[in-house]
Amino acid sequence: MTDVVSLEALYKTYDGGVTALDGVTASFPAGSFTAVMGPSGSGKSTLLQCAAGLDRPTGGRVFIDGAELTATKDTAMTKFRRTRVGFVFQDYNLLPSLTVEQNVVLPLRLAGRRADRHRVREILDRLGLGDRRDELPERLSGGQRQRVAVARALLAQPAVVFADEPTGALDLRSAREVLTLLRSVVHQHGRTVIMVTHDPVAAAYADSVLFLADGRLAGSLRAPTPDAVAERLAHLGDRVGVPA
Amino acid sequence: MIAVALRNLRHRPGGFVATFLSAFLGAALIMAFASLLDTASGADAASNESLVTTASVGGGWCLVIVAFAVTSTLTLAVRQRDQQFALLRSVGATGPQLRRMIVGEAVAVALLASAVAVPVGWALGRVLVDLLQNTGQVASTIDPVFGPVALGAGFGVTLTGSLVAAVATARRTAARDRRRQRPLLRRIGAGLFLLIGANCALLTATLMDGKGIDAMQTAGQAGIWAAIGLALLAPELLRLVTAVLGPVVRLFGAPGELALSGPRLSSAVMPVLLFTGIATGTVYMQGIEDRAAAGQIQPAYAQDIQTLNYVVVGMVTVFVAIMLVNTLIAATTHRRREFAQQRLAGATRGQVTGMVALEGVLITVTGVLGGLVASLFTVLPFGSARAGRVWPDASPAAFGIVAAIAVVLTASALVQTARRTLHGPATAAVRA
Repeated sequence: MTDVVSLEALYKTYDGGVTALDGVTASFPAGSFTAVMGPSGSGKSTLLQCAAGLDRPTGGRVFIDGAELTATKDTAMTKFRRTRVGFVFQDYNLLPSLTVEQNVVLPLRLAGRRADRHRVREILDRLGLGDRRDELPERLSGGQRQRVAVARALLAQPAVVFADEPTGALDLRSAREVLTLLRSVVHQHGRTVIMVTHDPVAAAYADSVLFLADGRLAGSLRAPTPDAVAERLAHLGDRVGVPA
Repeated sequence: MIAVALRNLRHRPGGFVATFLSAFLGAALIMAFASLLDTASGADAASNESLVTTASVGGGWCLVIVAFAVTSTLTLAVRQRDQQFALLRSVGATGPQLRRMIVGEAVAVALLASAVAVPVGWALGRVLVDLLQNTGQVASTIDPVFGPVALGAGFGVTLTGSLVAAVATARRTAARDRRRQRPLLRRIGAGLFLLIGANCALLTATLMDGKGIDAMQTAGQAGIWAAIGLALLAPELLRLVTAVLGPVVRLFGAPGELALSGPRLSSAVMPVLLFTGIATGTVYMQGIEDRAAAGQIQPAYAQDIQTLNYVVVGMVTVFVAIMLVNTLIAATTHRRREFAQQRLAGATRGQVTGMVALEGVLITVTGVLGGLVASLFTVLPFGSARAGRVWPDASPAAFGIVAAIAVVLTASALVQTARRTLHGPATAAVRA
């Protein structure tokens, strides 16, 4: 299997001297569903943002779909992301003044491409949003909004979909729906999903889990179960050790 | 809650800058004109008349604009603090407590602004008296006085305006089920102002026909009332212009589509419309007068009025410019999150700026066209009364200049603020 995303020795230091990433090397094969886990402040969100081209690492290299992300200007980074990366955020980030359908086609329109109406309909139908197409996001439940966000992330057929705590704002049932959806995106449609979460139950939906602590990789787990993930998470501190 | 109000002022002064600025400028202008009345009380008959005319014409104009400006900036500033109000609610603040906080803040800002405005009003008052003395309309022996009328009017108008605006906004904000503004009330108000404007225009064309320069008073008023009426209809006018220009804006691709679907910035139309209306109306009215009066013997106060008209235009320009910049900065900064979301959806900074610029075009076109219509309420009847011809025999260049100023002001304020709002990474901005 080829790697859709690979990270080589990523470092990220913030202005205040805080090190968020301390030399992370990892790769994510095509057609895989990976969860990135770690305690608060472990650098998992930073890792996602650097890997997705939303933020620039201080050191190291990022490859997405075979191309290295070398852009440093905001506009160039945006253009790089457009064709390769889809996003799902914790708080949906749908535009409140656009309808469901307009929200879904927005990334394509911004890239100056026409959206295939059939495909849009098909995706919305598949996600159970066929009859909500002309609604504004404020009229939808949290779970429905997140499904709209997933539809938006999928429409441009990106090489990889990044999800940042996609179930963080959802109730249990909606969370399960969204996670099942992400799983089917990978297993039935062959996409690649990388998800950051702090919830062991959510992580168990993935094929494998990557653990992060203090900005470093702290092991991985294949075919995770919630209990196994929680167990590993509880002992992360033991493995990495607290710097003196 | 008054304590919270004062702490808000001390620790988050940024949120009150816009309100403070418009209250301060308004108070200073009103004080300056009102001080002419103080000066007039000890003057000879001719000087007295000149001072009183200047004060009532200039002051009246100021009054309307200031009340309007203070109200709109205050409303806008309060509306942006939804989050803070929600937070206060969640820790147990009741509706009446929130109301008291909002009103308390407004009164404190108005008091402070009026107090700071005193020296500026004093100085501006002296400048006005100087101006009138230089043109020989007021005896040079008269000393400018800054007295009770100036202070009373300055503090009174600013405080009353702020208080009324704060109470109205607070009621709307504190209400649990937030209804959108009441369009019916606004439309009735707009109709009323337009009727008054039309009435003044009619009076000018009929009753004031042949009365020479005196027709200016009713003609000027007609334009102001009409401008306010049209400004109140800003949301409807903007929708209309958006519908008409939609196909053109759409040609610009995604930024155009976003500009058409985004929240309407009708609050920004108002200052553009007022500025264009009052400036165009006044300049053309004075132009008609100058041509009609050429070679004729003029009443002594004709020159007063000429000076005054240009002073008013200048003043209105400055005031409206500040109000426009205020409104646009407030409205754009509020959209930080929206911009960040667009960027996360794949918009480049350029595309977001493009969207904002296109919105600016819609705003400016609406404001300038509305202002042009309002100015006709002044220009047409005055032309008919003074020069016997409805359509003025004047070049459109002056209107072109007014429109150009409106365009430059709107564009620079919008694009500058958008740039600043777009600074920094979108991932951080979206959480703010």
